[in-house]
Order: sequence, then C-alpha cells, then structure tokens
Amino acid sequence: MWQKSLQNQSPTESNLSEEREALKRAPSLRFRFIVVGSLVISIIAALAISFVFDYSNRLADLSYDRLLRSALLQMDENVGLINNEVSIDIPWSAFATLAQANDDKVFYKVESSDQGFITGYKDLDITPPEEPIYDKVQFFNRQYSGEKVRFAFLERHLIEPDATGTVRIILGQTRLSREELASSVTQRAVDIVLIIALAAIALIVIGSHLVLRPLHRIGHVLEERSPGDLTPLDIKTPKETHHLKVAINHFMSRLQVNLEQLEHYTADAAHQLRTPLAGLRALAENARDQTSPERQHQVLEDIVNQCDALSQTVTLLLNQAVVSHRMQTRHREPIDLLVPIAASCREQAVTALHQGVSLSLDTELSSATVLGDGFALQQMMQNLIENAVRYSNQGEQQATEVVVTVAEFASYYRIQVIDHGEGIPDDEKERVFERFYRGRYDIAGSGVGLAMVKDIVDHHTARIRILNTEPKGTTFQIDIAKFKVGVTI
Amino acid sequence: MKGLIVIICVGCLFLSNALKAEPVWFGKPDATRVLRINSSLDLASFSPLLERFVTLHPDVRVSYLDVNTLELYKKTIQEKANPSASLVISSAMDLQFKLANDGYVQTYSSDATARLPSDAKWRNQVFAFSLEPVVMLVNKDKYPGKLPEDRQDLLQAIRQYEDKMTGKIGTYDIRNSGVGYLLASQDARQADATWGRLIEAFGSHKLQTYCCTHEIIDDVASGKLVLGYNLLGSYASQRARTDPRLKMILPKDYTLMVMRVALIPKNAPNLEDAGHFLDFLLSDDVQKIMQKQALLFPILPEMTSVKTPYIVEAPGPKRVIEMDQQLLVGRDYAKQRRFIKSWEVALEISEK
Repeated sequence: MWQKSLQNQSPTESNLSEEREALKRAPSLRFRFIVVGSLVISIIAALAISFVFDYSNRLADLSYDRLLRSALLQMDENVGLINNEVSIDIPWSAFATLAQANDDKVFYKVESSDQGFITGYKDLDITPPEEPIYDKVQFFNRQYSGEKVRFAFLERHLIEPDATGTVRIILGQTRLSREELASSVTQRAVDIVLIIALAAIALIVIGSHLVLRPLHRIGHVLEERSPGDLTPLDIKTPKETHHLKVAINHFMSRLQVNLEQLEHYTADAAHQLRTPLAGLRALAENARDQTSPERQHQVLEDIVNQCDALSQTVTLLLNQAVVSHRMQTRHREPIDLLVPIAASCREQAVTALHQGVSLSLDTELSSATVLGDGFALQQMMQNLIENAVRYSNQGEQQATEVVVTVAEFASYYRIQVIDHGEGIPDDEKERVFERFYRGRYDIAGSGVGLAMVKDIVDHHTARIRILNTEPKGTTFQIDIAKFKVGVTI
Repeated sequence: MKGLIVIICVGCLFLSNALKAEPVWFGKPDATRVLRINSSLDLASFSPLLERFVTLHPDVRVSYLDVNTLELYKKTIQEKANPSASLVISSAMDLQFKLANDGYVQTYSSDATARLPSDAKWRNQVFAFSLEPVVMLVNKDKYPGKLPEDRQDLLQAIRQYEDKMTGKIGTYDIRNSGVGYLLASQDARQADATWGRLIEAFGSHKLQTYCCTHEIIDDVASGKLVLGYNLLGSYASQRARTDPRLKMILPKDYTLMVMRVALIPKNAPNLEDAGHFLDFLLSDDVQKIMQKQALLFPILPEMTSVKTPYIVEAPGPKRVIEMDQQLLVGRDYAKQRRFIKSWEVALEISEK
C-alpha cells in the first residue's frame, strides 16, 4: 500500500515492558519542578534567615542602646558642682533603667579633664573607636572584665560657672539580654521561615500534581478509547491544556481524513482492477461465442492487450508500494541521476511511440551525482513521463512530443519533463499533488501517481514546480541538490 | 560623748576580731572534706542549720567564720586569687551584688537555684535564701510614752522626751557595717525628708553607733538604750520573743525588707560542697526549719502553714530592697563618700 497502514493492534507484552523502561529513563517534569522549586525556596529561606540574624542583632542593640542612652543621660544630668568640685550624684532611676536588662553587669566611669577620676571603675580606660564628638553619645562594643560589653560614651564641656574643661561619662552593660532578645527574635523568625518554606514545598508537590492532572486525564481518556474511535476529545480541560487538546483533536481529524482517503483509494484501486477484469470477461465470452476463426483470433488479440494493460496497472500499484517501503527504510546514497532518468525514458519510449508520442532525453551532461534512491527516482520519472504522454494524447490536437531535459546549475540539477498537451489550469496546479486527486476522470490513472512524485521529491529534499509550456502544455520542473563529498545526510 | 562612741567602736572591733580569729567547726574531725564558710550571720541563728548539714553529709566538716559584712567584702576581694572560703554569706546585699558585678563570683546552678524566683537571684551568682524585715527594737520599760509605730512617732518622742532619749538610741556605724550602710542609704532613698530629719535628730541627741546587731540588742535589753534603729528582723525577733522587756516594731510608714545572700567566690576550693550547702539552704526542709524554729525569715515561706512568727506581717507597706543593678548606685564611690561625710557631719563625728 502506498499509505502506511494503520494498525489497530493492542500493545503486546514486550511493547509494554519497553514502555515501562522508557518511562523509567524519561526525565520527570514533576520531579524537576519540585527540585527546582525546593531549591529556590531553600535559597530564599536561607537568605531570609541570614537577614533575620543580622536584623535581630541590630534590633536588640537598638532597643537596649536606648536604655543605655537614657541611663547615660540621666547620669549626665546629675553632673555638677558639689562642694566646689565637679562630681556626680548618680540617680537610682538611671540604674533602674539598666536593671531592665536583668542579668547584665554594669560598669561606668566618670572623669573630668581637670580633676581626673571622679567615680566608677578606675581601670575602665576605654575610649570610643572614633574621635569623640562633644555632646554626642557614642556606642561601641569592647571586652572588659572578661566579658563583651556594650559601652556608651559621652564627653561634654562643663557649663557651670566655676568649672572648666570637659567631663566624660562612660557607661557599659554586658550583652546577655541583647543576645537573649536577638536569639528569641531569631528563633521565632526562623521557625516562621521554616514553616513557610515547608508549606511552600508542600504546595509545590501538591500543586505539581494538580497541574499535571489534566495531562494525565487526557492520556487516560485516549488510552481508554476503542481502537477506531477518532472522534474529538470532549473532556473539560483547563486553559493551559486546551491547546494540547485542540492539537490532538486536529491530529485525529487529519487522521480521520487520511483513513477515509485510504478507503477511497482502496475502493478506487479495486474499481480500476474490476473494470479491465469485466472487459476481459466480456472479450473472453465474445471469443467463446465467435465461430469465425479470424474473428476469434482478433478477439483473443484484444484479450492479450487488455491483459497487458491490467498488468501495467498492477505493476504501478506494486511499484508505489515498493517505493513507499523503500523510502521508509532505505538511506540515500550517491548515485548518478542520469541512470534512472535514461532507464525510465528507454522503458517508456516504445509505449509512448505506440500512442504516437515521441519521447526524447536531452542533456549535455555525462553524469550527475546526487544523493538519492535510484529506484524511487526511476519511479518518479516514470510517473512524470507517463503522465506527460497520457496528457499529450488528450485534446483535439494530438501532441507528438515529450522532452526530458537535465541541466546543471551551481548547486543543483534541473530536470524538466515538457509536454505540449492541454496543460493544467492554474487553479488546479496546487491540487495535482494531492492524493487521489485526478484532474480528469475520463483519463485512466490511479490518481496517486503525482502524489507519489511529490513524496519522492520531498524525500530527496528537492523542489518541484509546475510551469506552463509555451504555447501550450505543461512542464514539470524538479531541482535536486548536487552531491557534495563530505556531506552526509 | 564622742570619745565613748569611739571606745565602743574600738571595743567591738577588738571583740569581733577576737571572735573572728578562730572559726567554729562543725562535723566529725576525721571527715574527709572541708567546707569553709565566711559569714556575717550570727551563729545562734545558723548553728542548727550547720549541725543539720553535717549530719546529712557526715564526710564534710564545716568551718564557720563570723565576719562583719564590710570586712567580709574586703576579705573576699583580697583573697580573690586564692579564696579561703567556698561560700560567702552576708546581709549586705549591695556588697554581695557588687562582688558579682565586678567578677569575683563563681556561677552556680542547680534544681534548687532554678526554683528561686528571679528577683531572689542574679546571674546565677548571687542567691537569696532569706528575706527579713528591718525593724526597730524598743525597751518597753524605758521607752517614754506610747511605743512608736513609725519613724514619725520616733521623731515625736525624741522631741518630746529629749532628756530620756538623748544618748539612748543606737544604730549601726555605717562606716564599719556594710549592712548598716545599705539600710541607711535605702532609708535615704525611700524617704529622703524623713531620713534627713531623723539623722538630724539622731545627731543632736547623741546617737550611739555600733558595728554589730547583737550588741545593740544587748544594750536595748539592759536599758542602756531605749531604742535600736534599723535592726535585722531575725535577730530582733529572736530576742524579743524570749526577753519580755523587748518589743520589735515594724515601722508603719514603710518597712524595709532585706535579703541574706550567699555566693561562691571565683576560684573557691571545694565547689561541690559549696553547691551542696547552697542547695541545702534553699531546700524545702531547711526553708521550713528556718520558719518553724524561728531562725530566719525564709525566702520561700510556706504561706499555707499555721501562723508562725517568721512570716512578715508588716503593718505598713513593705519596701523590698531589690537585688538588681540599683544596688550599685548606693555603693557608687562618689555617692558613698558624700553620704558618709554628711552622716558624719550630721552626727558631729569628724573622724572615723
């Protein structure tokens, strides 16, 4: 058969296990989706957590620095002249403020530029990392008494009438409460981030299942169909899989059309065989009933002719089947294009002459190497020549010549099959390559000849055009690429 | 009069030094381990507990050295590299707190310390095991007029019965007594005006100053004093219950509440037994014994039990001296100097 037969066989055991193997090896869309999604979420979660660590430390410093500043300012407010010397009366409330950081030690020192040490911890000789700015509280971390301590530092000019110089207050607080606050904030935030991340991953897992479910459903519906059922899918699918459904439906409708064409073809082929068979039978009866030996001889001669015609039709059908098979299985190889062309010309020359048409091959080339299948090309030429000869015979004026030319161009060879018959109307030129299309039903022909030509041309990645021959007739023109050494297809 | 005070002070210093020179031992002499405790607690209140401890831990011998609160502080600092005591117990909360703040204290935690409310401990370094009121103790027979209910009544009595009150009021010498300073500074903080008038009245009526509680109580009992001011409730209460001449008064305007706190010095020997002793002090049994045998006011009193004298029932507001960073303010170098100076000026004492 020319067309690939549609086998509606149920999958066999070996097919099933192969499919299972293939399924195992195939990359999983859902798995990728989940892995990539989880990865992205993990990265985001990690970033969020590191941000939270940073943020919670700053937050803890921010809030406890306020306490420290407040205590420092309360102390500062109570610096003044007491008994004619600069001193400080630390308010209880200043340290009550600091006591909000329950377990944190407090260190402090007050000194003036004139008097030196006033009160506090004498050995607390710590200066801020930056140049002190008068009247501005500076915060910094330092090691003191074996612990990390947050210090606030303030230096200002004394404004009392009898005092000169500056006073410095340094107040420190260990970092236990800050760290506790930071870690509690971090802990909560990390918990939340982890919960969100896990929820997101779970959503991806569930979501991927939901997203892919319509695909599974389409697959399932197709799977469950009876073998001959090519009606469109009518299940409801979401927008995202709508195109897939439409594509499947289009594909099935094309398949339906092809199937119908195949049926037509089969019917046509049967018809074509039946008509000559019926003719044969009539001739045979005629021969049986003839009494005159001459007449009988004449009828028998007709029977032989009819047999030849029938055999020709069968050969054509067979050739089509062979070409179809070869094109599916054979690779192309470098061949001389002239060989199949010359062979088909030779083969057709006598037949054409019988019909009053002279066939000639006109080329100046001695060889023309292309990558192709000699048998298929020969079938192609045969069909084209047959076609040309057949159409030369039609019409009021018998055309008497069909010319085949082969010419060389830069990268391709051009084959032309030129007849002077009736020609093909422009609106039909597009359709002649359609399967089972036959321009004229009064002319014998399978209706697949030109379709096969087109397929062979396509198989050779060549180009075919239908031109008009001047003043009348048709020229089929085929351009086929030259074979270049080193290029394999 | 000034001379007399000095003599009393010097006398009690000698006395206490003589007493303190030798520690008191508890437990079997052949016990394998030794736990040394330096404490300002009167042995009378503490020895039943020590006896009980060595019974429970027969392999431990306890040495108990009675030291005045201020000396105890100085001694702990002096011995910071090589402390003689494994446990330091004092009612001078501020000094104990300062030791911890300044890094002289070992951290310790156990189930018993975890049970303590957070305001009764700090950094797992300082642990309160008793909370007692600060009281006035009067000699009922000698006190002129109606017995005072609060500080105002006392001021009133001083003004009204000047002759009978002059030289008859005793309190701590805040220069020698750590707890004395703490109570005075807290008085000044709680009610600055009252404190000012009180100290002025004390000064103009020849206040007697002492280093130690029991000497004040002795003098009140003997009639040498009519009133002792700012005494630790546990001692006063013990004596008042046995001596009919004495009456303990919780001032109605406000009653200070002071904690006795224990700590383990850094680098202390025998940390294990120090921890055991701390757990022992905080255990339900011992807390109950303090309450039932009227030794001390427990930090974890059993409120549901039958009424005992060692649950504080103050007639007025209780002002608990909080164990937090504010204690450092009272011990601020400049503030302390000024406070003692003004105290000396008010009491007309110029030298120590």
